Amino acid sequence: MIQINNLSFSFASAEIFNRLNFTVNRGEILSIIGPNGCGKSTLLRLLRGSLKAQSGDVLWDKTPVGKIPAGEMARKVAVVPQSSTISFPYKVRELVAMGRYPHRKNLLSFQDKTDLQAIEQALVMTDILPLVERPITQLSGGELQRVLLARALAQNGSVLFLDEATNHLDIDHRFELTELLLQLNREQQTTIVQISHDLDLAAAISQRILLLTEHGKIAEIGSPEKVMTAANLQQIFRVDVKVDSNPFTGTPQIVPLINKSNHQLNNLKVHLICGGGSGNTLLRRLHLAKAKVTAGPLNQGDSDEMTANVLNIPVAQEIPFSPFSEQTLATTQNFIETTEILVITTQWWGVGNLPCLDLAETAIHQGIAVYLLAQQQEQDYTGGKAWEKIQQLKNQGVRAVRNEEHLLDELDSLPPISII
Amino acid sequence: MNKFATKSWVWLLFLLSPPAAILISLSTGSLDLSWNQLFTILLQGSGPDIEQVIIWQIRLPRALLAGLVGAALSLSGVTFQAVLRNPLADPYLLGISGGAALGAVIALTCGFQSPMIIPLAAFIGALTALLLVYLVAQAHTCSSHTLILSGVMVGSLAAALLLFLLWRAPADATRQAIFWLAGNLSLANPDWLSWGWIWVLIGFLLLWSQSPNLDLLTQGEETAADLGLDVGRSRLILFALAGALTACAVSLAGLVGFVGLVIPHICRMLWGPGHRLLLPFSALLGSSFLIIADAIARSLYAPAEIPVGVVTAVLGAPFFLYLLRRKGGGL
Repeated sequence: MIQINNLSFSFASAEIFNRLNFTVNRGEILSIIGPNGCGKSTLLRLLRGSLKAQSGDVLWDKTPVGKIPAGEMARKVAVVPQSSTISFPYKVRELVAMGRYPHRKNLLSFQDKTDLQAIEQALVMTDILPLVERPITQLSGGELQRVLLARALAQNGSVLFLDEATNHLDIDHRFELTELLLQLNREQQTTIVQISHDLDLAAAISQRILLLTEHGKIAEIGSPEKVMTAANLQQIFRVDVKVDSNPFTGTPQIVPLINKSNHQLNNLKVHLICGGGSGNTLLRRLHLAKAKVTAGPLNQGDSDEMTANVLNIPVAQEIPFSPFSEQTLATTQNFIETTEILVITTQWWGVGNLPCLDLAETAIHQGIAVYLLAQQQEQDYTGGKAWEKIQQLKNQGVRAVRNEEHLLDELDSLPPISII
Repeated sequence: MNKFATKSWVWLLFLLSPPAAILISLSTGSLDLSWNQLFTILLQGSGPDIEQVIIWQIRLPRALLAGLVGAALSLSGVTFQAVLRNPLADPYLLGISGGAALGAVIALTCGFQSPMIIPLAAFIGALTALLLVYLVAQAHTCSSHTLILSGVMVGSLAAALLLFLLWRAPADATRQAIFWLAGNLSLANPDWLSWGWIWVLIGFLLLWSQSPNLDLLTQGEETAADLGLDVGRSRLILFALAGALTACAVSLAGLVGFVGLVIPHICRMLWGPGHRLLLPFSALLGSSFLIIADAIARSLYAPAEIPVGVVTAVLGAPFFLYLLRRKGGGL
């Protein structure tokens, strides 16, 4: 529908785009993401035709955008700006009514039935009906954004451009707006191109995502799953993120790894024997404390295994719902032999994971420091074998720790270990 | 309902204000006339009696001239404030006053005393200055900042040349020039009155037809363009119209200050910023205001006259401050 061919654009001082090529399909939701200053808003203005490219074409249904008359263009596409100058105290209804300007039938823009209907509908959809008599000078940032959106809706175009239209909205209205966009897209086949800094939301609603580099090149364009990879985001935004999938919708979800850990373990090698979610917290906290973590044995699909995968932690894996095989235990053995610290977080003991305690015993004999997270006798389902083994391990020098915090404190206070 | 009722009262008040102002103006002056006498003379029509001459050939043209100038200045004030998106803009902001004054003073100091030449020179000076400002700003995409800046610069240049001319001019011409600069409704040739009114009426109708465009321009160029307005063309038309109205007012009455700034504000406070109503009501209120101000200027030190610009400022500023205080700055 909108075709961008070899588009080049520069401001007097800097080149923004060099030979850009992509297409916006009819009826899709396309989100443009990228770091600050990479030219997202400029790109939107180029698509709209309010900026002229130095070379290349922007074609709307094969017609160059510059050749389409101003009025016709405004009937095709409505733009929701980031904010607006408000020096004049227009009433909310008057401002929304301005959206009918490209549809006016007389010189003075007196409104007819269709106009009134479109305005009313826009006011209802954006939830600003109670505000209609208020001057726009007295609105909050979020209210104003909804008014600007209503004006765009009153324009009744088949295409909607949004330039960070949700940045002032509270979570309630952000969700409402998102649903509104989806509804427009579904019911009226509105094509939506939006700039967004809310990557999760962009991933949740977009059919495709356009990722720009800070130099205005297209890093990737395609489905959210294809574009929003940890590697892409780390490269473009230079932040440490992980990409998980939203547990409810399955769409990519960005997990920023903000290091608020006050423990520094400088590449200390730690192996975790965990399972059933008992290692979740520790895996994350050790990762944030910059330890070199390995884990296992773990069955595939165990929540600890999934956490480890997200954090790129090597795991000795076993197929789902099976006791640990000789081979898996051997792999674990290999992990343990190269580690400096072994931690057992497992809380529930059964025949399946009983061999793990033997691994711990071997480790003690190899001179590896072994820590054991607090255990409870009633969670032993091996008829006392596990509990007995645990008592033996304690006698052989396994250190019991109360909780994760206690363990990290202990590890943090270790003297630097010289690796032999 | 209640709100609507008060609004319709204000409507009526606005519509009746110019005729009321004219009546007040007709009854005041160095010759005292009672209302009875005034209505009798008005019903008699024009005639040879001294009272008839004073009312029909001196006071009425004078009041109509004041009304014309007031309407023209208010209309162009509304337009400039919207196009420049600056509530502090007035008709003289873009160098028009400087250009007009320079034109008039050049004519005066060159010894032309004819009431034909001076308005013409002022008119040409005003439009030249506006054109210069527009051309300079257009090189930089005509944003309201560059327009205001280049307007201020052209204005200062004109002011400097003006001071130089006044310094060189004979004292008599200087005195006349100062009177002109403060705004004076006694200078105009009555023959021009009907032409002036036609000019202003056409200007008003054309401007009124642009009122949706004015609304859009207050939202900024980009938004206006997004909503389908051809911003460059529309702005050029509006400048030309507002410039022509200002030049007309200035050439007939000199630099009457304050009307073009304060009347649009008062109307906006009463009616909101929508131009479909703002333009006609500003014109009505502006003409009534200047008619009254002129009546005061004529009668306060009768038979001498004080410059009407002094009266407009003294009347307008306190009222404006009162409104500002009551409304809490929502310009």
